[in-house]
Amino acid sequence: MSVRRGADPGLDEIRKGREEAGPVPRKGVGPVAWFDIRRRGLGHFAFSLNRITGLGLVFYLYLHLAVLSTLLRGEDAWDSFLGVATSKFFLLLDVLLIFGLLAHGLNGLRLALVGSGRAVDQQKALYRSIQVIGTILLLGAALRLMGSE
Amino acid sequence: MATTQAPSATPERSRSRTWAWTAGSGVALLVLVTIHMVAHHFVVEEVGGLRTYAQVLEYIGNPVIVVIELAFLVVVTIHAMLGLRSVLFDFGLSERAKRLADRGLVALGVVTVAYGIVLIGVLASRA
Repeated sequence: MSVRRGADPGLDEIRKGREEAGPVPRKGVGPVAWFDIRRRGLGHFAFSLNRITGLGLVFYLYLHLAVLSTLLRGEDAWDSFLGVATSKFFLLLDVLLIFGLLAHGLNGLRLALVGSGRAVDQQKALYRSIQVIGTILLLGAALRLMGSE
Repeated sequence: MATTQAPSATPERSRSRTWAWTAGSGVALLVLVTIHMVAHHFVVEEVGGLRTYAQVLEYIGNPVIVVIELAFLVVVTIHAMLGLRSVLFDFGLSERAKRLADRGLVALGVVTVAYGIVLIGVLASRA
């Protein structure tokens, strides 16, 4: 089924689409709709979170490659960068990165299971499960990172 | 004369194929990113788990690590470009703009992977 920009497919159409393998159709598409929380369910919130964390992770990918270029400039450049990267502020940014990875990765796994038709009826339970698992992993990672200072 | 499109060329089929690639690369990334994060942040007993220059060279000198890092680079780039494509297409682009976006993202992906390969190669050669 196709979802045109600006057109809200009917509920029957959405339900039918969700039973088919592939991307899960949405009531509204586009970046504006990501932030439109009116009469939206858990699925919409998870979808928007995936888009926003995904964009953040793409930004981080290029930032990471730029930072790793410091290695090409030799030992002094890298080791002086480590002095900045191991400050409390940067360690907190690492925790934010891990939050983004966990939110995007675990929710992406849920979307893959739902979209492939394997867990269509369990998507809310799956969402709650990944929230619990993600919170535990994030706390563990944060304690490990901040505790290493 | 009426023409028919092959199923593989329909937008519907293309959308499903893109979704399958996004989901498949995403599942592969769950494994690769876990290895990458554990190896870079949770193994080394330094502040923040970050390696010193000498430790980086020792790490990248291992051929198995080079293969894992290259696989991570390729898969993360494919997943990132497909994700950007989905976001761009959310803007309701025209068919021409979609084709341009596709070409731009392929070019960006190729440049990203090429740069990563150079980075890993130079560091591995110093090990």
